[in-house]
Amino acid sequence: MKPALFAAPITFIVFLLCLWVTCGAEDTVPHVTVGTQEISLSAGYLLPHRLTDQHSTKQSGPAVMPSWAMVLTDPVGWRWLRGQLMLGAEIVYIQFQEPELTHGVGFTPKIKWMFEGTGRLRPYVEFAGGPFYTDLGGRIPEESARFNFILTAGGGLSWFFTPQWSFNVGYRFHHISNAGTRYPNLGLNSSLPFGGFSFYF
Amino acid sequence: MIVTTPSLRWLTLACGVALLTSSGCSRWIEMTTPPGAGDERIPQVIAQDEQVPLILDRIRTTRNGSPQNSSAETEQRVLRSLADIGLFSYLTSANTAIPASREKTVRARLLFDEAIDPHAGGAAFKGIVIGASMYLLTPLLPLEYEYGAHLTLELERWDGQVKQYESRSSGMARYHLFGATPIMIDELKGLVTETCLTDLARQIVNDTIFFNANSAPLGEPGIRTVSVKPRTPSTPPVIPVSTVAPTEP
Repeated sequence: MKPALFAAPITFIVFLLCLWVTCGAEDTVPHVTVGTQEISLSAGYLLPHRLTDQHSTKQSGPAVMPSWAMVLTDPVGWRWLRGQLMLGAEIVYIQFQEPELTHGVGFTPKIKWMFEGTGRLRPYVEFAGGPFYTDLGGRIPEESARFNFILTAGGGLSWFFTPQWSFNVGYRFHHISNAGTRYPNLGLNSSLPFGGFSFYF
Repeated sequence: MIVTTPSLRWLTLACGVALLTSSGCSRWIEMTTPPGAGDERIPQVIAQDEQVPLILDRIRTTRNGSPQNSSAETEQRVLRSLADIGLFSYLTSANTAIPASREKTVRARLLFDEAIDPHAGGAAFKGIVIGASMYLLTPLLPLEYEYGAHLTLELERWDGQVKQYESRSSGMARYHLFGATPIMIDELKGLVTETCLTDLARQIVNDTIFFNANSAPLGEPGIRTVSVKPRTPSTPPVIPVSTVAPTEP
């Protein structure tokens, strides 16, 4: 592997460590209440999963996900499950670089459970689903339609380096298919590790 | 002007979208006890040289039964509300001023009991339904947040006589998803608290004569004693205890 490939992540980690050192522990605990809104921007790289013998396409490429969410509840639940429910929406854009350069864009309402965690470090799980349009459909054996649906489930970790800003890393599983509106409809399954930032207000 | 069918269709659609969007952003507060619902305050007169100072000893705050830290903001608000009555010569907190000895003073202790019901289950269910409907049901499913306060104020006169005043109020914020904001919760809490403080003030005003400096002589000079003891909860908490029988080696 080229050393340049390591440079960017290492620089980023050093940047985060600097932020950690410079930010005081007490004054960076977020105050997230009912009505608090979150806007975030995440990016990741889509990696293929061929779950059956009939799947042959190795779709992959970068994905960008701007999103919005709102806190619906005060912290509820017991022990480590204690957290807050958030409801939001997300636009997902995927540039498929393999098997050929194509694009996909979707809009998904999403629901997110944000655990209380340690205050500054808050894990979460999320689920989203909605319509997804891609011109990859019709060019691969798994999908015949351009109009599809995307279902997403995953989790992540938010680290608040100020009361309003957090850095997020996470993993999602993506499933894209057309809900049986056209055949073949094997569907595309992918993993999406991602990172990004959120702003709470 | 001739309105063609397509333009009428677009106009109707635009109006529908505008209506849905605006109604999805609305919020309102319903007070169970509306401000000023109690008896009318009867104006009282007190001479300036008959006013005594009031010292706020402590504020104890509980939320859904569990003790909380009292904020300086609450203390200031209570003092300001009592100052507005005009019954006392000046008001201060025990934390910020030491009263002059052998001075007639009224000492105040406040218990601020908050009850919060965020309707978390309902919000979660409605949130899932709203999300699943791609937000189309937002205007039809309002969310709720309930807040109640019960204030108990004890005023101890310089001769040791104590009067207790109570007031309670509650309200509910109803909002559509896009109208939610943390300010809305602050507004609700502010309204409920203000209603309680106004009611307390009304009750105190009715006892103006009781707090008149000439209403009672200063107690006998001597050493005033206070009892020192550990705090005990009003209802002992039930703590589940499980024991494991020691195993033989």
